[in-house]
Amino acid sequence: MRATNLASAETTIHLCSVRAGEGLYGVDTRAIREVLGNAAPQHVPLAPEYLAGMLTYRGEVLEAVSLRTLLGLENQAGVHRILVLEQDEGERFGLMVDSVEGMVSVAASTLESNPATLDARGEAIFDGVYRTDMGLIMRLDPRRLKPTELAQSGIFEARTANTRMEAR
Amino acid sequence: MEDLTKEFVAESREGLERMELCLTELEQRHGDGELIGEIFRVVHTIKGTTGFLEFSRLQTLAHTGESLLAALRDGRIQVTSELISGLLELRDGLQAIVEIIEARGSEGERHDDDDRDLIAWMKELEAGGALKFDGGLNRRRTGGKTATPAETTPQTPQATTTAGDTDKTLRIEVEELNRMMNLVGDLVLTRNRMLQCQPGDISYAEQVRRLNTVTTELRESVMRARMQPVGHLFAKFPRMVRDLAQKCGRKVRIEFEGQDTTLDKSLLEAVRDPLTHAVRNAVDHGIESEAERVRAGKPTEGVVRLRAYQQSGAVVIEVTDDGAGIATDRVLGKAVERGLITPEAASAMTEYEALQLIFVPGFSTAREVTSVSGRGVGMDVVRTNVEQAGGRVEVESRPGAGTTLRLRVPLTLAIVPALVVECEGQSFALPQGSLVELVYVPASEAVSAVERMGAAELYRLRDRLLPLVRLRNVLEIYDCDHSIDGQAQSHDTDTASATGLYIAVLEPEGRRFGLVVDGLRAPEEIVVKPLPPALREIKLYAGATVLGNGALAMILDAAAVAERGGFRVAQAEARALETARNMIAQSEETTGIEMESAMVLYESGRPGPDGVTRIAVPLHAVERIATVPINQVEYADATPVLQYEGSVIQLEDEGGLLAELDTARTGATVLICVTRGGRRIGVVVKNVIDVCAGELLPIDTAISNSPLARIKEKLTTVHRGFEISPRELETTEDRDHGTLVGAA
Repeated sequence: MRATNLASAETTIHLCSVRAGEGLYGVDTRAIREVLGNAAPQHVPLAPEYLAGMLTYRGEVLEAVSLRTLLGLENQAGVHRILVLEQDEGERFGLMVDSVEGMVSVAASTLESNPATLDARGEAIFDGVYRTDMGLIMRLDPRRLKPTELAQSGIFEARTANTRMEAR
Repeated sequence: MEDLTKEFVAESREGLERMELCLTELEQRHGDGELIGEIFRVVHTIKGTTGFLEFSRLQTLAHTGESLLAALRDGRIQVTSELISGLLELRDGLQAIVEIIEARGSEGERHDDDDRDLIAWMKELEAGGALKFDGGLNRRRTGGKTATPAETTPQTPQATTTAGDTDKTLRIEVEELNRMMNLVGDLVLTRNRMLQCQPGDISYAEQVRRLNTVTTELRESVMRARMQPVGHLFAKFPRMVRDLAQKCGRKVRIEFEGQDTTLDKSLLEAVRDPLTHAVRNAVDHGIESEAERVRAGKPTEGVVRLRAYQQSGAVVIEVTDDGAGIATDRVLGKAVERGLITPEAASAMTEYEALQLIFVPGFSTAREVTSVSGRGVGMDVVRTNVEQAGGRVEVESRPGAGTTLRLRVPLTLAIVPALVVECEGQSFALPQGSLVELVYVPASEAVSAVERMGAAELYRLRDRLLPLVRLRNVLEIYDCDHSIDGQAQSHDTDTASATGLYIAVLEPEGRRFGLVVDGLRAPEEIVVKPLPPALREIKLYAGATVLGNGALAMILDAAAVAERGGFRVAQAEARALETARNMIAQSEETTGIEMESAMVLYESGRPGPDGVTRIAVPLHAVERIATVPINQVEYADATPVLQYEGSVIQLEDEGGLLAELDTARTGATVLICVTRGGRRIGVVVKNVIDVCAGELLPIDTAISNSPLARIKEKLTTVHRGFEISPRELETTEDRDHGTLVGAA
């Protein structure tokens, strides 16, 4: 797999396409360990806003990052889908999305860079965009979505004291 | 690193630890051939293995040591204290190289000093040049000492990393491992049977019971495997006490008891530092100098005794010295001198209470600062560390006969008994260790039971005032936005009057306070799960756990809650003010006290002409009572100012309170007041005494130039410029500049 990382024209990348709000986003399947269906993360008071809460996964406590919040959308009530992401044995965490659409295979070379007009939030979490039959798929960079990275980036407000997730 | 090298490092470490112990023992029992044999074997093993692994530097050093030890074994040289010192240095030299190997995988170069000195020294010793050696020793010692600042600073992190490294490996008996494997096998079988169970099967209940037994046994077995004898911890003390005693010029012997008592490995690491500190203290402060001991009719050699035993679910480690004990009068004197307590409080203190003062941060009774201890950090660190591990520290002193320090730690950290509390529908776990008691105030008394002093909420528990911290405030869960509009407060009162008040009395780091929660649930044994990094950052939670009902709950760190509670003081004060307003508004109908005549009574920094420092400000003029960190006070042309809600307000500082607070490094209490004309100023006050009804009197210049008010039947000076009624305040705001006469 490593060799395919080199951008040769034939390299195909498998993306898991997910939806949050209106947009379609893609996560490299190699970074996904599992997709959890009916997950309701437990809200943690005083946690940064982009953390929807925590959940247990294989006896471990994971943080769930809300893609909606990262995109500047309100969180929705109810049950969510959570992708458990882990790359290179690093920090494991959950990414909370509205729905998981399916697998999309794209040629690595068709990745286009972020439009210059993209705002800081988008710049911080997307590493490019693919044109597909389903429309544009913004590629999410799991490394940059790590809670610790998000905290360091400083773009996402560290904590809003009193907004409570509607879903609790 | 290669496995072989790793194994070598672990083995050498163990060997060197043993060597240290044997050496200190050898000093007591000079002719013990067995001890010499043991030491010889350690060095020999290291030499043999290094040759094989090609660590030539280590080999050379070990070789020199070996030949010295051979000379000792064959009786060619005698055991002297110099020889022991030399051998201890050899041990340290070997240890240093082993550590380098552990860190880098190769021996590398030691740049500061090389082994040549040490080898030369060994050779000299072997030749029997004991006296010549003394100079060498001192030179090395002093050389070592000058390097100390650089050396000791990285010492601590280094020590922790080594602790972390040793944490990675654990020796376990094969038998125990087999037992675990059997249990796991049993667990798998039980699961298989349960999978085959049909709904409504009678054997199902039996399987559940079986599962229960197997998990309990497995848990016990794993816990047992994690248990380590405390003897491991004690091993380094003989050497430490020896070195310390030499440095302090005292004779001290160390004794052990109950080394076989076992403790969870992680806890063992957690008490390592506090225990070291305690032993250090015992030698430095506890044991008297030789002359003093002779005068007291004690043997010249002092004894520090370490004793470990199990007691009701906890392991107790005692450090006892036969020194002079703690002089409570000196403790009290020091505490007063340091401004930790007032002389009045000191005279009222019981002996037990006085002894507790040694745990207060910044307290040290050492007459002078020595290199060993007495830098003001001491027992408070011991207590904090032990409490972090879920334990407790007790001290007992027998004047003239010695001091006993008791560290009480739970058997394990992985599973702790905890109380589950509720706040806003969410569950939180409070470890039992920090919990003192639970108080329930029935709904009928809930509102009146909470008293307010200035801003803080207090509860009178057996005639002692207990500051209250509301968990809701700490977690910043409000129903509305956090502007202080009294709604949240009234909500508190609502729930309190509906369900009563649940107070969990906590005492982390000696700060006793009551945590007000919405409800209590049954105590549970919780499995502590470490938090992921971003949640750890919040610094309020000690971990997370899965409760019996499957819900995740955060474990509250009592000390952090107290801290947060303190941070929230400013807000709590504002809320208290709001409540005062509400209360007065409510009582308006019943008691006839008018809202507009309520007064905030405070203590001013400068005594008035009659020496009275109580000053009043009409409540309606006070917008907020804020606690401001002193560094937020800025100066504009020597006038103290404060940035408040986007504007700069002038601070009125009567009697130079700010300068006082600046040296004390505490926060300043500021009344943010609105003057006539709608301008805001901040009045720096010593403290807020009360909010109560008062009657503003017309100014009569024949009596006094200051406006007066009648508060609680006593005349009180009203802060100039605020002697107005709210109606007038409004009208002056309209008119912007109006001439004002005291309200009649």
